[in-house]
Amino acid sequence: MIEFEQASVTYPGGVQALKNLTLQIPAGQMMVIVGLSGAGKSTLIRAVNGLVPLTDGDVTVDGVSVRHARPKQLREIRSRIGMIFQTFNLVRRTTVLNNVLMGRLHDAGTLRSMLAMYKHEDVEIAMQALERVGIVEKAYVRASNLSGGQQQRVGIARALAQQPKIILADEPVASLDPPTSHVVMRDLQRINRELKMTTIINLHFLDLAKVYGERIIGMRNGELVYDGTGAQADEHVFRDIYGRSLTADDMLGAPAPAG
Amino acid sequence: MTAGATQPKEGRPKRPAPTTKRIFTLIFVAIVAWAVLTIDVRLERLPDMPAALANIFDRMFLRDGPEWSYLPDAVGYMIESVQIAWLGTIIGAILSLPLGFFGAKNVSSGLISNIVRQILNGIRAIPEVLVAVVVFIPMVGLGAYPGTLAIGVHSVGTLGKLSAEVIEGIDPGPVEAARAAGGRPLQIQRWGVLPQVLPEIVAFWLYRFEINIRASAILGAVGAGGVGEALVQSLQFRRFDRAGMLIIVIVVVTILIDTASGYLRRRIIEGGDRPSKGAAREQPELAVLRPGAQADAPGGP
Amino acid sequence: MTAATASRGVRPSRPRRSLMGPIALLVFLAITWWAASDEFGIDFDVPRLLTNLTRGASILAEFLPPAWDFLPRTFGPMIQTIQMAVIAAAIGCGTALPVAFLASRVSTPNRFVFLVDRGVLSVVRALPDILYALVFVAALGVGPLPGILALILFNIAVVAKLLSETVDGVDPGPIEAARAAGSGKAQTVRWAIFPQVLPNYVAYSLYAFELNIRASAVIGIVGAGGIGNLINAERRFFNYDNLTVILIEIFVLVFVVEMISIFLRRRLV
Repeated sequence: MIEFEQASVTYPGGVQALKNLTLQIPAGQMMVIVGLSGAGKSTLIRAVNGLVPLTDGDVTVDGVSVRHARPKQLREIRSRIGMIFQTFNLVRRTTVLNNVLMGRLHDAGTLRSMLAMYKHEDVEIAMQALERVGIVEKAYVRASNLSGGQQQRVGIARALAQQPKIILADEPVASLDPPTSHVVMRDLQRINRELKMTTIINLHFLDLAKVYGERIIGMRNGELVYDGTGAQADEHVFRDIYGRSLTADDMLGAPAPAG
Repeated sequence: MTAGATQPKEGRPKRPAPTTKRIFTLIFVAIVAWAVLTIDVRLERLPDMPAALANIFDRMFLRDGPEWSYLPDAVGYMIESVQIAWLGTIIGAILSLPLGFFGAKNVSSGLISNIVRQILNGIRAIPEVLVAVVVFIPMVGLGAYPGTLAIGVHSVGTLGKLSAEVIEGIDPGPVEAARAAGGRPLQIQRWGVLPQVLPEIVAFWLYRFEINIRASAILGAVGAGGVGEALVQSLQFRRFDRAGMLIIVIVVVTILIDTASGYLRRRIIEGGDRPSKGAAREQPELAVLRPGAQADAPGGP
Repeated sequence: MTAATASRGVRPSRPRRSLMGPIALLVFLAITWWAASDEFGIDFDVPRLLTNLTRGASILAEFLPPAWDFLPRTFGPMIQTIQMAVIAAAIGCGTALPVAFLASRVSTPNRFVFLVDRGVLSVVRALPDILYALVFVAALGVGPLPGILALILFNIAVVAKLLSETVDGVDPGPIEAARAAGSGKAQTVRWAIFPQVLPNYVAYSLYAFELNIRASAVIGIVGAGGIGNLINAERRFFNYDNLTVILIEIFVLVFVVEMISIFLRRRLV
């Protein structure tokens, strides 16, 4: 379980990205965060694995404080949290497999990973992750030769290779076209249900949020302004969260493909 | 260096064989092994080296200290080196600009540009020290004179090549416009080409100046004036305290000039509103990445 | 022009010409005059240059024809030059790798190491390689060994500086991903940064090797081995036609090395 307690983040310039956030996320939940750019979505997600340090309050993961974790502890916590990025963040010049193996870095130990002598089990885990997202045949292909959707699936495989308990996804489909977006969102949904991983996703496409979000959190100006289910969230709700009327840009537009 | 499964399961691709990489690594290792094994070097004194170096370092800076009373002379020698580098760079810059135009495929004809580029390559290949030692010193005697000339001549080579490359990389639009407006050839160069390339070329001149400071220090070692001469002499007479003073002066002045020149270069490049095409402009050292880019002075970047 | 009196817009007054240009030019000319004057500078006298050049022409005649029978005697020193360049490049470029990572804001473990590393690199680069050759010769006597050591130092400085600047500019995305996965600092460098800069590293190393070839020709002049020794000897005896042969050899060698380097760079990128 993830627990925010009066968590606040104030950036050096004085901007308050998170204001006294108190929130509980039970294990295994699929939670979607919506809000305008700058509303605090990215900050919230990065506070969970400590990429953005809190300036006040605390966030705990299964009872362990992220804010007060020592570096080694923090790495341990992070190794159990997989993260997926809007721009995929793959190492473009190397193979898909090497990218996925980055998820095994923490468990593989420094010496082995420096010499690229991964244990058989680690490679096996990586391969299985690739199979789960359906692109294992590209294992030895250079990452930059893949399409956007394929690259994001490699990103998901990398996160899965960590064998995490939690998955964080920061705008995972913002760089993808509508059909691919649905594929990726459905992958995440499947992973959440089958592997019982807590999944937190930032989205700015509201129709996607409504379809895939078991629970929806609305952020505005660093504050939590909405907490409900996907079914309950309708146009009025979103308009409240955004503080303005909705535009076409806020919707993906394409319906989920059948089947 | 991809780790791979030993037995691919069904559907999984096989790990590709790393033959090219292996071949290159083998050749590389073979060459290094050859060099190490066949070089005629006496290693017995090597263990003594750290102590000997520590001793020298000590005598340069610590025990007898750098000879501070020597400071005015040291600065004087360094100034001479800077002057040599300054004038040498100017000579190089002036001569290289027209050669750069002649050497650019898009400005002059293919044949002429090829010939000019080959000549420039030839000049570049010979380190300044050799040019000085072999050509100018016999001609004009020792002193700052041959040093300046040697630096000037060598700089023509590098600057000419870099200028030609810059010119070849221009946007052809303004040139076409100038031609369409009926401009004469010289005018086209002056107004269509030059404004586009001048900031970058001037930046190269400044960068060359930085390198030439080091080159002129080296030239002193063969008697071509400047701080190098003083340095060699002080080391040969084992006046390490003097050498220490000279070294301090060299480092300080070089870093000062590097900083000032770097600042100027950045200002010049950013002065135009064109987006700079990456770090290659500000840091000419990175120009070595361009295909066909070649090495510069032996004094290093 | 129509007769419409609709607003034509106010013509802006001509912007004041910045004084920077003329001032810079003035400063430039002043420095040049100072540098070339006989009292403060190096006495750069153009007329004297021309008289010297004409006198020099007769000396130049002594350079030709090249004394080809001298060629075999140059082989030993030339090979030594190559050996020195290879060894120094291998050791120098290898060592430069960790040094470079420590010198970049992105990959350095802490601020102190970063500043020390950057500082040392700046100082080492500011000094000409001949100086290191001289010092090593003073410590070890003449021969190729001090030359190799000097070149190694020089290599490390050159490659580490170039590489650290490249590392400063890498895509931070993979680094964030590695951190988020719980990877340690060294692992992050190895897997998120190094693959990105590998082609650059190869290019810089080849560049350093080219520099070594030229430098080792030069440092021999102060006794640090290689072809420079021979150059010194021959010039003392005014054997200009022999020197021509050496120069041609150096030119050919540099040319060949450059061709190989271009080929390798294209292949490996």
